[in-house]
Amino acid sequence: MSARIGTAVYRYGLLALLVAFVVYFAATEPAFGTWRNALVILQSVAITAIVALGVTISLTIGGFDLSIGSTVSFVVMLASAAQVYLSLGPVWAVVIGLAAGALVGLLNGVLVVYARVPDLLATLGTMFVFAGLSLVITGGQSVSAGATFLGRPSEGRISEGFLWLGRGDLLGIPFPIIVALVLGVVVTVFLGRSRIGRVLAAIGGNAEAARLAGARVGRYRILAYVLSGLLASVGGILLTARLGRGDVGAGGDYLLETVAAALIGFAVLGANRPNGFGTLIGALFVGILLNGLTMKNVPYYTQDLIKGALLVGALVLSFSALFRRKERA
Amino acid sequence: MLSAHRVVRSFGSTLALAGVDLVVRPGEIVGLAGANGAGKSTLIGILSGALAPTSGRVEVDGVEVSFSSPEDAARAGVATVQQDVDAALVPTLTVAENLVLDRVATGALGALPSRRRIRAAAAEIAGHGLPLDAQVGELRTSEKQQLLIARALHRGARVLILDEPTAALSVAEQRELHERVRELAAAGTAVVYITHHLGELAALCDRVVVLREGRVVDEFARPLEASAVVSAMLGEVSAIGYRARETGGEIVLSGRGLRALPDSPEVDLVLHEGEVLGITGLLGAGKTELLAQLVGAAPLLAGELTLDGEPYRPRHPGDAIRAGVGFVPEDRRGQAEVPDWDVARTLTLPDLRRYSRLGLLDGRAERAAAAEAIERLRIVASGPRAGIASLSGGNRQKVVVARWIAAGSRVLVLDEPFRGIDLGARADIAALLRSGGVRAAIVASSDPEEILEVADRILILADGAVAGGVRPDEVDADGLAALMAPALAREPLPEGHAA
Repeated sequence: MSARIGTAVYRYGLLALLVAFVVYFAATEPAFGTWRNALVILQSVAITAIVALGVTISLTIGGFDLSIGSTVSFVVMLASAAQVYLSLGPVWAVVIGLAAGALVGLLNGVLVVYARVPDLLATLGTMFVFAGLSLVITGGQSVSAGATFLGRPSEGRISEGFLWLGRGDLLGIPFPIIVALVLGVVVTVFLGRSRIGRVLAAIGGNAEAARLAGARVGRYRILAYVLSGLLASVGGILLTARLGRGDVGAGGDYLLETVAAALIGFAVLGANRPNGFGTLIGALFVGILLNGLTMKNVPYYTQDLIKGALLVGALVLSFSALFRRKERA
Repeated sequence: MLSAHRVVRSFGSTLALAGVDLVVRPGEIVGLAGANGAGKSTLIGILSGALAPTSGRVEVDGVEVSFSSPEDAARAGVATVQQDVDAALVPTLTVAENLVLDRVATGALGALPSRRRIRAAAAEIAGHGLPLDAQVGELRTSEKQQLLIARALHRGARVLILDEPTAALSVAEQRELHERVRELAAAGTAVVYITHHLGELAALCDRVVVLREGRVVDEFARPLEASAVVSAMLGEVSAIGYRARETGGEIVLSGRGLRALPDSPEVDLVLHEGEVLGITGLLGAGKTELLAQLVGAAPLLAGELTLDGEPYRPRHPGDAIRAGVGFVPEDRRGQAEVPDWDVARTLTLPDLRRYSRLGLLDGRAERAAAAEAIERLRIVASGPRAGIASLSGGNRQKVVVARWIAAGSRVLVLDEPFRGIDLGARADIAALLRSGGVRAAIVASSDPEEILEVADRILILADGAVAGGVRPDEVDADGLAALMAPALAREPLPEGHAA
């Protein structure tokens, strides 16, 4: 009986906690429970969720991508610089952004697979490399219309069409939310139902067993990092469009939030493994908590503390689940 | 000097040692032998202070002791040189620094001992031609062992436990080590020597104690009779009716000029249509290494392979699988299963394309395949969705074997497929191999009884070389066991060593 209660708590505890938060905030802060605020939360959560889906993929192979926040920053810089410095159109900005994300992922993958650098250290290194590169490209200044480039004020600007990606809506729903939902479904199906997703999960569970079953483990690992970088770049592009300029270090917060979201996702519905749906819920969890606490006048400078505590909580949750799994095996 | 009395050790519900008595006297070299899982490691763990006995007692000089750690045991005079010598050394420090590591760590040489003081202290200890200023990371394994032995003796070890010391040594280095061990014994040190090599046991040990299933099953004095030791290690081997079949159909898989181990002689092998080829030999004979090359899990060291007459050169297990060669690895949990997966997923992993359309998996088809395998191989499981961990060892192994049947493999290569599984599962898997579940199979096992039960033809490996080939009806389990132990003949008994 107690075991069944334990299982139920493990399965639904997180969803219940999420509902409890919503009810509590809505009951005590009238502004929280409005449709408007719901959109605000979802919009801020959307980019976190997209980037966190990338983290979910790297976690699936048993890897870890610390460079995810820097990748977002780097893409923000490139996407804005392409338009402002080089006067390129919005399509080019998107293409350059996506390519940059994929390349960062490729570099991470090559470092981990071929240079055999442990993933945490490889992505720690690239985290600093791309954060630094963003600063070098922009000379440390914000990239917006009229910013100096090569000694002259630049003539390009971020176009309306590009800004729509971050600010526009379809049928009253902000575009980033739609992207997050679509990608959430795609990643959930990819990890849960596709052949490649199954192989990625096998590698994360037992890489040697996957290899002996014929999987080219190195290639799949690289693919996972490329997809992770690609999803980070989608987040970066939407963030650029929302901000309307290339802020230095715009992606800095995403590492903490996305890792927390993906790890919280482990526990959603007792999945016990990284999964797309859980990650969306995890991102929502982080977003609702931060929004609600802000409304309760918890000072903004406590946010990092709260996020950090949340991350530790998520780590305990997922790793104790992993232990339970090992003991059973 | 060192003795164990009725020592019992259990891990969870598993009884690793079921009441072991062992006495080691000063100046005596006692060999400890046993197959995998016999309890050797556990016993060493207890004697060396790494493990606590569940019950029973360990005595040093007749006084009961209870070691809290290997350090503690060393202080009481019982030192252990583990097989993994690197675990006890700091690779970035010099030989001299490693020799006096304990005294540096405890400050016995002063808070910040100078290089000169360290060297002087070390020179006092070593005196065996060790390069004191070399970095330990650059030493050969044999030198590291010398270092550890010197350090142990310096700390006052009167009992030295050597765990598989020659596993990584060349023949010349082995001889040197044996010499050193004899010197130590002559000087009064008691030695416990663990090895898989019967030759070493015969050449070096005054007494050999054989463990099996957590008990001392027999004890042998010089001169050692190899087949008796092997039978004691492997247990009562019953004579079964062998059903060897006429072989000589078309050649399915052949290998010429292969090498099991980098320095071993060449091995040729041929596998015929409808045949089960058994490969046997003691641990370290090269079975696993040879099999890994057949399935692309390890690079081919030498020679050529053909499959159905076509050149076959798998560079990756994926190549072998595409060519129709399936592999059941030695360590099921570490090499075949993914934790937390169900039977269906475990079954379909090597052949996912069969169950996918446009990149998406058809779960129903996967479960249908699993249900079929459960039926055909009589797997005891609640269904295709049952967690693999909820099955017994034998049924889990059946799932791993069934993978290749479902994938339509032509040839199946199995490394120790019967280890740790029940007789029923073993019989079912053997029957499948022999009844045309695949066209031909290679089964490696160090257990003569298993090999005799399943094989049509047997290849015996010893130290990577073919030591013989027999048919199951030509030999019984005892005879096969004796054939597996040819190393005995090669190392002559040293002259002038008193038994």
